[in-house]
Amino acid sequence: MNGRITHHVTRGAKLSITLDGRTLDAFEGETIATVIMALSSPAFRQDSRGDPRGLFCNMGTCSECFVSVRRISGPVRRLRACLTPVSDGMVIETTGGYDV
Amino acid sequence: MSLRYDLVVIGAGLIGAATAWRCARAGASVLIVEAGHANAGASGQNAGSLHFQIERRFLENGDRLAEEAARIVTLSRMAIDDWASLEDDLAADLHVRRDGGLMVAETPDEIALLEAKVKREGAAGLGTILLDGDAARHIAPYLAGSVAAAGFLREEGHADPRAVTPAFLRSASLQGAELRTATRVTDIQAVRPGFDVELRHDERAQTVRAGRVLIAAGAWSPRVATLANIHLPIFPVALQMNATERVRPLVPHLVQHVGRRLSMKQSHAGNILIGGGWPAKLRRGADGGFDPGLRPEPIEASRVGNLQVATMVVPAVAEMNLLRCWTGVTAITADQLPIVGEIPRLPGLFVAAGGSAFTLGPSFARLIARQIMDQDRAEADDALAVVAPARFEHLNGFMG
Repeated sequence: MNGRITHHVTRGAKLSITLDGRTLDAFEGETIATVIMALSSPAFRQDSRGDPRGLFCNMGTCSECFVSVRRISGPVRRLRACLTPVSDGMVIETTGGYDV
Repeated sequence: MSLRYDLVVIGAGLIGAATAWRCARAGASVLIVEAGHANAGASGQNAGSLHFQIERRFLENGDRLAEEAARIVTLSRMAIDDWASLEDDLAADLHVRRDGGLMVAETPDEIALLEAKVKREGAAGLGTILLDGDAARHIAPYLAGSVAAAGFLREEGHADPRAVTPAFLRSASLQGAELRTATRVTDIQAVRPGFDVELRHDERAQTVRAGRVLIAAGAWSPRVATLANIHLPIFPVALQMNATERVRPLVPHLVQHVGRRLSMKQSHAGNILIGGGWPAKLRRGADGGFDPGLRPEPIEASRVGNLQVATMVVPAVAEMNLLRCWTGVTAITADQLPIVGEIPRLPGLFVAAGGSAFTLGPSFARLIARQIMDQDRAEADDALAVVAPARFEHLNGFMG
């Protein structure tokens, strides 16, 4: 639960997702960006110097937060983490220095 | 009359900044006046192609225009040399990448056009080579099977438009040139010798005396020329371009199409930039005329059409996310060639505007600086003859 408020809050149903190979709890209604930002070292990709990049606009405009996403079935797609709600069983990879 | 400069440059775009640097380095006192902020117009809005093959727009209107375009090849050859040394000259990383450029053809008509173009370029001293489809795919495996031929020119490539003008300005400043932004020119009076140039900043007016004046204001140049009682046949053009998400290195070359509107390259950061002359919509200002200062409206059909051509030529593009589409204003002249040189009826007043000025800008600046400074002038006059303002002097025959 690190990074999340734990008192006086109600959440959607608990889900399980995989982020860069780690199994994580998430909650219905959260975006992928929320789950990443709740980590102790959030990173969406690395810049050209290898430094982690965070969210920039968090409203779908800048496209800084592209991640690769596979739902239970279907192809891998690159989606903006800030606009994409999590779903149970989702497999997410942050994408290194490039989006593809 | 307090301030005097050897040269007042109007417009802090690529040519203005580069000319200021050249002239300041040669010992001139230089003031650059910019109505907005530096690199705000086409110099910073274009997609950074370094293209030296004759452009499609010159080939689609028959032989006469193509003949003139061949004359500009001499300038392209100079630009090839100028870009080769620019990063060293300015001690700056401009993301210049020159892994070659491919102008592709798909249909028999396009192949014929390409062959004629390559022949014309060869005669003018440009080393374009003609490749068949397989040879093109050998050096550019990302090209579609439909590519049947390509003109390949080793010196083509791209650079970062957001880095070039600022680098020229830094170098100009180190040589003592002064830059005033958010400052409009409101009057230009010939005082023989020289000009009184009225400037306005925050509604405060000031007149400076300039030995020489360079109008390098892109699409705004005709309005500036009006202040000197001169017609310039330069018209604003709204274009739109697209950027994909960052992808792994895929397209090291500049890719163009001889029969369709396409220009593609991969930026330093990994984005594929896709354009090639697709129109956006110019906006009109309060006076009803086109206002190059207003961001043009994107046209959906241009975006769709451009991406269709791009995916046909480089199929991998179909798998990429489109990150954004942007519009910008450049300029075109009555005969499609830029206007660079001295105004015959107003000695000391120079113009450098009218498009093609990312690729050719550093060379235009180097040559017009020689004219301005009267150094090896005959050589510069000769090189710029094809783009000299004199060809439009008839428009100013009734300007008292």
